[in-house]
Amino acid sequence: MPSPLLSAQAIRKTYGATVALDEVNLLVQAGEIHALLGENGAGKSTLVKILSGVVGLDRGSLFLNGQQYSPKNITEAREQGISTAFQELSLLPNLTVAQNLFLPTLKKNRVGLATHRANEARALEVLERFRLSSIRPDVPVGNLSLAEKQRLEIVRALSHDPRLLVLDEPTAALPDPSWLFELLFEPVKKGLAVLYISHRLHEIRAICKRGTILRNGRSVDTVDLSGVSNADIFQMMVGRAISQHQARRMQAPKDSPVVCSVDGLTSSRLKGVSFSIHKGEVVGVAGLEGQGQRHLFRTLVGLERAVSGTIKLDGQPVTFHSPREALRAGAGMVLVPEERKVDGLFAGLSTLSNVTVSSVESLQRWGWIDAKREKALALRYSSSVELNPEYFPFSVRNLSGGNQQKAILARAFMAKAGLLLLFDPTRGVDVGTKEVIYEAVERFAAEGGSVLMYSSELPEILRLCDRCLVLYGGRVCSELFGEDVTEEMMVAAMTGHGHGVNINTSEVKTSE
Amino acid sequence: MKQKVLAWLGNGALVAGLIYCVLFAVYAGSEKGAVSLFSIATLFNNAAPLALAAAGETIVVLTKNFDLSVGGVISLTNVILAVYPIPGPYGAAITILVVCLLGALVGAVNGALVAYGRLQSIGATLGTMIVCQGLALVILGAPGGNVSDFIANFFTDQIFGFPVAALVLLLVAFVWIILKTTDLGVAIYAIGQDEAAARLSGISVSRTRFLAYCLAGCVYALAGFMLSAQTATGNPTAGSSFSLLVFASVVIGGTSLLGGRGGLIGSMIGAAALTLLQKVLFSTGVESFYIGVFQGVIMIAALAFSETVFRVSRLGASSS
Repeated sequence: MPSPLLSAQAIRKTYGATVALDEVNLLVQAGEIHALLGENGAGKSTLVKILSGVVGLDRGSLFLNGQQYSPKNITEAREQGISTAFQELSLLPNLTVAQNLFLPTLKKNRVGLATHRANEARALEVLERFRLSSIRPDVPVGNLSLAEKQRLEIVRALSHDPRLLVLDEPTAALPDPSWLFELLFEPVKKGLAVLYISHRLHEIRAICKRGTILRNGRSVDTVDLSGVSNADIFQMMVGRAISQHQARRMQAPKDSPVVCSVDGLTSSRLKGVSFSIHKGEVVGVAGLEGQGQRHLFRTLVGLERAVSGTIKLDGQPVTFHSPREALRAGAGMVLVPEERKVDGLFAGLSTLSNVTVSSVESLQRWGWIDAKREKALALRYSSSVELNPEYFPFSVRNLSGGNQQKAILARAFMAKAGLLLLFDPTRGVDVGTKEVIYEAVERFAAEGGSVLMYSSELPEILRLCDRCLVLYGGRVCSELFGEDVTEEMMVAAMTGHGHGVNINTSEVKTSE
Repeated sequence: MKQKVLAWLGNGALVAGLIYCVLFAVYAGSEKGAVSLFSIATLFNNAAPLALAAAGETIVVLTKNFDLSVGGVISLTNVILAVYPIPGPYGAAITILVVCLLGALVGAVNGALVAYGRLQSIGATLGTMIVCQGLALVILGAPGGNVSDFIANFFTDQIFGFPVAALVLLLVAFVWIILKTTDLGVAIYAIGQDEAAARLSGISVSRTRFLAYCLAGCVYALAGFMLSAQTATGNPTAGSSFSLLVFASVVIGGTSLLGGRGGLIGSMIGAAALTLLQKVLFSTGVESFYIGVFQGVIMIAALAFSETVFRVSRLGASSS
């Protein structure tokens, strides 16, 4: 093999007590599109930040073209040949396309001024060279669509003529990746190396020959992608084999009524999502990162707006403008959000207040909170999730992650919603607490409640759900029932190789 | 086309300009001789200190920060001019240079604390404001002193029919227009909009913010200079009445207090409108106690207008 363009050896990076990267090795050849794979939190973004000069590393060494590579900032990284199209997009909406393209050093006219005219003329050349002449250089970036911004971010990175181009989820907002693939073809043939980060395995297979897999901040292996199956990749990403055995699951009682039905829900990130949930049912939602699951949950409770489609609760069409409305309508809907510390907890309040905060209105007497009833009810719902009442007087921020999550779940149960929306309810929670949470959810369903649960951990869905919706690119690409709810089937559908109910129904339709 | 109209309306300078024109029409109607050269020169003279103070503040506000030191710098400049007058045109030139350097120095302290020390800008600049105010009292314990005759006469006079105060404002506006076509000028807008994205675009956020504070301090000193030219005497608390009106001018001029949007020229016109408003109320016989009420209402109206235009234009952009 020729000497690599980029060589990362034993990279280590810590943030305080958290080890983000450790013993990470990566070799990228010139003229290669190299995939970087890993779950959320595996360390991909940290590696991207190190390569693009945003953060430094604690230990290990980086070589670019045989030279020591240690950029102090993003400009130095660009000068030495690595530029990056960031996932979060680093464009400034209040500046024009041309200004964004050339930041931080704009093009100057003859008297040394960075006039609009001077920059727009040069920007036009760049946009034409990189097949983006559909965008005008004089418009503010804020007026572009998300897909156009994504393209501009990529073109800006390419326009620095890098030797290594880092693309972090470059197609997340693109309706069709072929524009990018065609754009990369020429430069890669001429020796450009690309580090390609994506959760979309079929895209990676389409353009990458080799890939490096990160898990828990370590590089697991670099593989020839044609020689491994999606299941193998998945196994390397999560660190265990896909389990074959069918777990015990509760089933919704036969012909129980529909609590919530969603039809053709469409927004910027959702494309015609339809499903229904019955009384007493726990429906799972599976999907790789960024397939629209977050938007689906947020749209259901009114945190985001749908462009079209209907949500029916107890048969009544509803449009919520806030989670408060969602909780008070019909059967009621409550979301347990993913970011416990940010969206879920009132860190400064006591544990007791955190449990009862959603129900205070029902605890009022003459405008004052009835402290006795508050305590009594809190005790009842806390015991259902085994939250120790001794914690009640203490500030919730002093509790462990598991106990915090228990408090949030107790709050959700206490709010007496008919439909519970759980978004990754056991993230960062210890094993014992997980089982407690599962049992509480089962009890909730057995008592007639309904649950929609997204989880990044498939065994959790296997454990609880008799039905699973798999999201891919903002659509329900597959709906799995009973026997079909296996990790194998879910992984296949999640990676865009689904053979779920959608395909079956289309067959049915053609035979009709 | 609709985009163009909205962009045009969204320019804060235009809104402030319209407010000014309306006020001026009322003023011209109610006050005899309002359209004379002398009267207009007086308007410029009266408006110049606040306009310059607001201009300086705008630079910092565009970077998504606040600078409360403006009043302190104005007081400090004023007492220096009154206690250490240097006669003649050369004396005036030296004085301008010295106070601008001093203003920039205060700005550098603000910038160091906020940009590099990462202190909250309101707290840090409140501190420097109090320090400057205190220094002004150390230099001049009670109102008094005399500003050099040349400064007091020349900078309130006219040359070739133009009020000198107007020329100073034009000069600052011109420098700003040049600055906007430099890397620093664009970076100021960038970091005010989105600090993280600006950093990922290769902009040095701390350096940009530091320089913004330095420039602002320099312009505050000019404001203090023009105030001194007008009052011709020293007052150690001369700048303390400016703080709130400065922010009102910035808002009327269409600059977002959230950073990244607006401009310095709008703020200057906004300041001129607020100053003119006082005259209008006086000439129409409204009791002076009502000045604050009118100023506040106009400020809120201008804010509501510019926010509405901004939201509508953004809505149009995302749907097109």
